[in-house]
Amino acid sequence: MKIGIPVLEELLGRLPKGKTLTYYIDPEVEGDVFAMQTLYTNLEEGHRCAYVTSTMNSSSVKNRFREFGWELDDFQNFSMIDAYSGFVGSTSEERYVVKDPSNPSELDEVIRKVLRENDLVVVGALSAMIDICGEDFAGIAEGWTGVARDSGSRLVFSFVAWPYSESVLNRIKDMSNAVVTVGGVHHRVVLGYYYGILKADWVDVENVAVLFRLVRPGGVRAYIPKILVTGPFNAGKSSFVHSISNKAVSVDRLGTTVALDHGHVEYKGFSIDIFGTPGQERFDPLLKVLGREALGVILVVDSTQPKTFPRAKQMLEATTRFGLPYVIAANKQDMPGALSPEEIRKRMALPDDILIIPTVAKNGEGVYDVLEALLKLLIGGRYDEP
Amino acid sequence: MQILLIIIMVKLGFIDLDIPKGSNLMVYGPPLIGKSAFVRTLFNEEVSNGAGGIYVSTKDTAETLMEWFEKVGLDDFRIIDCVSKAMMEDVADTDKIKRVSIMDLTGISVRVNGFLEEYWRSGVRDILLAFDTISALLMYLNPQTVFRFLHVLASRLRAARGVGVYVVEEGMHDDKTTTTLKQLFNGVIEFKEDEEKRFFRFISSSSRTDWKEFVIEDGKVVIP
Repeated sequence: MKIGIPVLEELLGRLPKGKTLTYYIDPEVEGDVFAMQTLYTNLEEGHRCAYVTSTMNSSSVKNRFREFGWELDDFQNFSMIDAYSGFVGSTSEERYVVKDPSNPSELDEVIRKVLRENDLVVVGALSAMIDICGEDFAGIAEGWTGVARDSGSRLVFSFVAWPYSESVLNRIKDMSNAVVTVGGVHHRVVLGYYYGILKADWVDVENVAVLFRLVRPGGVRAYIPKILVTGPFNAGKSSFVHSISNKAVSVDRLGTTVALDHGHVEYKGFSIDIFGTPGQERFDPLLKVLGREALGVILVVDSTQPKTFPRAKQMLEATTRFGLPYVIAANKQDMPGALSPEEIRKRMALPDDILIIPTVAKNGEGVYDVLEALLKLLIGGRYDEP
Repeated sequence: MQILLIIIMVKLGFIDLDIPKGSNLMVYGPPLIGKSAFVRTLFNEEVSNGAGGIYVSTKDTAETLMEWFEKVGLDDFRIIDCVSKAMMEDVADTDKIKRVSIMDLTGISVRVNGFLEEYWRSGVRDILLAFDTISALLMYLNPQTVFRFLHVLASRLRAARGVGVYVVEEGMHDDKTTTTLKQLFNGVIEFKEDEEKRFFRFISSSSRTDWKEFVIEDGKVVIP
């Protein structure tokens, strides 16, 4: 059976019979779409698929799918399990109904039956069931993974990782054959979204993080983040882009960049586009356009040229107006008279929490430390967790 | 090593209160004393002065809110309406109004973040979030669930250095719930009625103001 999510499909292959896949979602991220997309992909393949709703009525569920261009009513092989209407005291026309969704044993009975009668069951909000029935409910959900295994069906949970007790969070991860985390790229606010594989017991998984966007219609789409390398004239931006990239091109003339340096780096599972901007002031409008698209900024300064620091600050302000996190590369550290990062901090009047990292871009020294620091700022250090 | 702690303060205009950016405040008092009018007046003033405004309503529909704010001349703000979905069959969202079911806390959280990102990327750094009311959430969901939700929401506001004000009805919840709620916030704006006059004051771990009288004129709070 297909998983239906770009990149995940290549890494996990197909979802084998009897397995449970959990989408483990940051509460601030619109992650319910993952399970919806897995379901819809398999409806199109002709499998018998069922969706359990606990937070909205069935017409709202259908509209939610419709936002992504997925029409549930077209499929005879689809059934809805209504575990919502009972709460609000309305009636339900669905084939499977949980009359009292706050009653764990009724929920248990219905879901076990549905698992035996379908090829794929998607639980749209496992966390909502735990909210209503209490944390012990995780034990009942664990029982469903056994039913899926025995009946050769597949179970997909959409689980929003609110701050539950550690034991519940661990139990959810432990009981699943595969866990895909869906998280946010944070810098004061959530600036982007990513997903990664925490575990999968049927393949050897690589540690990857894929940034994604939601497209309406279309669903989950992977995309390549942009990082902007900026800095004054002759600070070493092109060298930086070239030494960090697995593949790079510059559009330049007479040794200085008049247009764009563009590179690409595969690093710790991230696939990142790097854009270097020209340092001359007449290109500042370009900086603004790129800044709007980027996820982070690397400011390269020539440590031997304090007179360029005011211009560096000005460039920094132009890009960080968009609220992006940034790291400073104190370049040309091998040159005589290079100022130390702390000296640069003082001269540029930068706050203590801004990272300034020594580099020699010419030979690649320190450039990955800069990228690493920026990624940590973006993902909060979470991308390299086991 | 010397640690210099810089706290950036923000003034909540009409109530003349300085609080640190990133604060989450509980607005607490008996029913019908004017908490919603208070929050709306504050919201109107802050947003009119350039702050980004996000109004989460579990009590009134977006249309009712718009009507109120149009009267005071405010239209550029964002609403998360947690009421309409229960009353009407699927009203469409707009850029400024998102509608979610009150049971769908993830939906509320995701919409708040969508608006925060939009403001942030467009350069708006001062943001006020009004949540009217938490008590309605507690009618549908158990307290633990609501605490977990508020913990995530308040942390986000703190990280974004915004300000959040959350209305809680006095006398509707047991003491344990009210005490736990208070712990989630940095301070409480408290209300009381005395000899047919209405008062409010601000209490936090580090400060406490005197009771200040207020009246309500045309649905707005006025300090005489």
